[in-house]
Amino acid sequence: MWSTARDIADGDTVIVWLTRDFLQPLTVTAGKDFNSKFGNYRHSDFIGLPFGSKVGSRTGKGFIHVLRPTPELWTLALPHRTQILYVADIALVVAYLDIRRGSRVVEAGWFPSTVSLALVGRIAGIHSWATGTGSGSFSHSVARTIGPSGRLWSYEFHEARAKKASEEFARHGMSDFVTLTHQNVCKDGFNLTDEADSVFLDLPAPWDAVPHAKQALRKDRTTRICCFSPCMEQVLRTVSALNDAGFSDITMYETLVHQHDVSQVPVLPPISEVAEKLKKAEGIREVKRQRQIAAGQRTHEPHGEKRKRGEGDDDGVEEGAPGSAELESGKRLKTGDEAPSTLAETVSVVPTTAPAAVSKISVSKVVPEVRGHTSYLTFATLLPPLPASALEDAKQEPDQTS
Amino acid sequence: MSASTPLQLDTRSSVVKSGNTVLFRLPNGDAKALKVDKDSTVSLGRLGLFYANELIGEPFGRTYDIVNKKLKLLPPRTLADIEDTDATNELINDGEFVQPLTGDEITALKQSGTHASDIIKLQIEQHANYSLKTEYSKEKYKKRKEAKYSKTFTTIEPTLFNVCEYWFNKDQDRVRDIRIDALSQILHMANIRPGGRYIAVDDASGLIVSGILERMGGQGRLITISNTDSPPAYPIMVTMNFNDETVTPVLSSLNWATADETHTPLVPPVDLSPDQIKSDRQKSRINKRKAALDLLNSNREELFAGGFDSLIIASEYDPWSILERLVPYVAFSGSIVVQSPYAQILSEVQTKMRALPQYLGPSLSQVWLRRYQVLPGRTHPMMNTSGTGGFILHAIKVNDDETATGMAGFRRHKSAAKTSNGTTPTPGASTSTPTLVPVVVVAEDDAMDDVAETAMDEVEPEPST
Repeated sequence: MWSTARDIADGDTVIVWLTRDFLQPLTVTAGKDFNSKFGNYRHSDFIGLPFGSKVGSRTGKGFIHVLRPTPELWTLALPHRTQILYVADIALVVAYLDIRRGSRVVEAGWFPSTVSLALVGRIAGIHSWATGTGSGSFSHSVARTIGPSGRLWSYEFHEARAKKASEEFARHGMSDFVTLTHQNVCKDGFNLTDEADSVFLDLPAPWDAVPHAKQALRKDRTTRICCFSPCMEQVLRTVSALNDAGFSDITMYETLVHQHDVSQVPVLPPISEVAEKLKKAEGIREVKRQRQIAAGQRTHEPHGEKRKRGEGDDDGVEEGAPGSAELESGKRLKTGDEAPSTLAETVSVVPTTAPAAVSKISVSKVVPEVRGHTSYLTFATLLPPLPASALEDAKQEPDQTS
Repeated sequence: MSASTPLQLDTRSSVVKSGNTVLFRLPNGDAKALKVDKDSTVSLGRLGLFYANELIGEPFGRTYDIVNKKLKLLPPRTLADIEDTDATNELINDGEFVQPLTGDEITALKQSGTHASDIIKLQIEQHANYSLKTEYSKEKYKKRKEAKYSKTFTTIEPTLFNVCEYWFNKDQDRVRDIRIDALSQILHMANIRPGGRYIAVDDASGLIVSGILERMGGQGRLITISNTDSPPAYPIMVTMNFNDETVTPVLSSLNWATADETHTPLVPPVDLSPDQIKSDRQKSRINKRKAALDLLNSNREELFAGGFDSLIIASEYDPWSILERLVPYVAFSGSIVVQSPYAQILSEVQTKMRALPQYLGPSLSQVWLRRYQVLPGRTHPMMNTSGTGGFILHAIKVNDDETATGMAGFRRHKSAAKTSNGTTPTPGASTSTPTLVPVVVVAEDDAMDDVAETAMDEVEPEPST
């Protein structure tokens, strides 16, 4: 497949990482330029660098990373970048179908040629478009897993797409073990008999291809099939077709991946902090209220009252210890000074009495918008046929339980 | 197309072999792992015993009935359509006496060797309200009784999917919450392929190691680092039934002491002069010791030489301390995949990664999986499901040699831009991960939204398309 050498050579495919959301495949060709928002580069700048290098632009403004392609990066770098969501589906399919080194896999896809068609398809819910030959996500992933000792037969309904995919497989060094055929498999089948270990169908009407898939699968060992369909109605028809064709262990899964946002936030303050502040503010407010009452009494109170209070005050000064009056006035002064700032604090709510070093914690949550559905993955198993003797027994004792 | 005989590169046998650890699916849906040895009997508890030789050589996935210690092969079960009737269960009340057949009578029937299906038939005949049940309830009733009396079992092929499912259901803690969807994603993110070179830290009973070995198919290298003095026990590898060619040439293990470059392992002397060797036994002992030491040294040299394609971690230890130790041995553009049952632990690691430019695009994700019951007229998600399949952190190691790429001037420019405009995330604020990482920063003032499209226009098309 792609280069496994340490350094980039002329003619290698690389993935240019511009930002996390903007990746691009590139065939390194000496003499060519790569120009982007992130600076200008010559392909020859990349040659001889290790894969995975950061490269500064020739103008000194901007940089990019040139990475070794993987099926996952390839998927991210395709025009339909939302396809990263399908990585979970592809991974589960490869695991369930027991695809490994040397496996012989059949894949059939149906892909509209334009994005607009694809969108129409998604809205109408009649077919899926995101995996399979058209985008190459599944093919590249399977090719990586089976390796050159495996075999992948890929079928594409759309002629121009088939041609393009075929060229791409050649460019990525997959031609030796990946065959692409332009064919309508629902009508014409796979031209294979007892050859494949597993079949993956990404078709609008997979039930039409199920009998052909059975023919393509080997009968000397356990083999498996997966049908990838976005709609429940498709699943139900597929399940009946699989059951009728003699597949067993029919089951269905849905899988998704939820990306998390990670951020650092200051350690959350305990309520005791804010309670203390509120209590303090309460005390200050009370002192202020008392002062206002006192001030009001001085200006408005009737004579009798004034005399009485005045007497009391005099008594206090005269009878109290010499230091007590000083202490009281000093205290009042202090709280008076503090009052405005504390009140301002309570208004802003956020505690401003920050400790010397604010300790932070890392937190994560699922990103606000996630894909809620990609497709249903219907799986089934085809067991090697029973020996004739066992079949005789089964006939004599018709199904005991169900 | 050609009908060439396929070249079989199997990691295990496709039929049951003597010595295999076989998974059995029991009538109640549970799975059980048992070793099947030639000329022995296999005991499946309530289901009874059978002779192992009857199973040896059989393909996995078949269903059998145990009849007098012998196996009777059954055809695979098909989905039966259920015809709806007018019954609604409305006339059935709780607590009514409906089953005259007593427990003792059933036990007697079982002991007399009556077949499970006949017992169930008898129960149905005697059941007072059976005919009032809806067809769906009847189906459920039969299934419940079957789980109780049937002596039918199915062998489960030890595919990675099946083995992972078995262990996850058996003991989720021992596999550190790694469900099959998580495991398959880890293997893809780490770009596991035949011929690759990987480092793994697997404290998940060997589930990660099993997955990697299965995908390597006997080609490439896997060095694992364990916390044990002796080679680590990866019990899940036993259930995978790998053949020797899959494991021996590929897998080597070091521990946290021998994987330390500054540490010199203390070993007894191996280079004795001939006159010091007194017996043949001593000589063979020394030869063995020398072979072990040579192997240890070559494994260490291999690790320290670096250049590995990926590092995969599912460990009970602080992942950051593991990354600090092992990331130097990962090649540029290699993948780093860290799994944990806890998002918090990986959040901390991601925060630390973001501060270091050698980690490109760290991203944290959570897996989600839902299984459905697919039966004609009764298709719905399973009522019970697993709550978590774990969390995965992925990053790419890159070469941040600034002098080599002449980025010094740009870095200054970039930090100036950082303070003068708001396009870069400020530390502490939520950095809305999927759109931006501090490592990759836009050099100009344009809003991120415009960048992709504008840049797309300016970029040359890929030459050969």
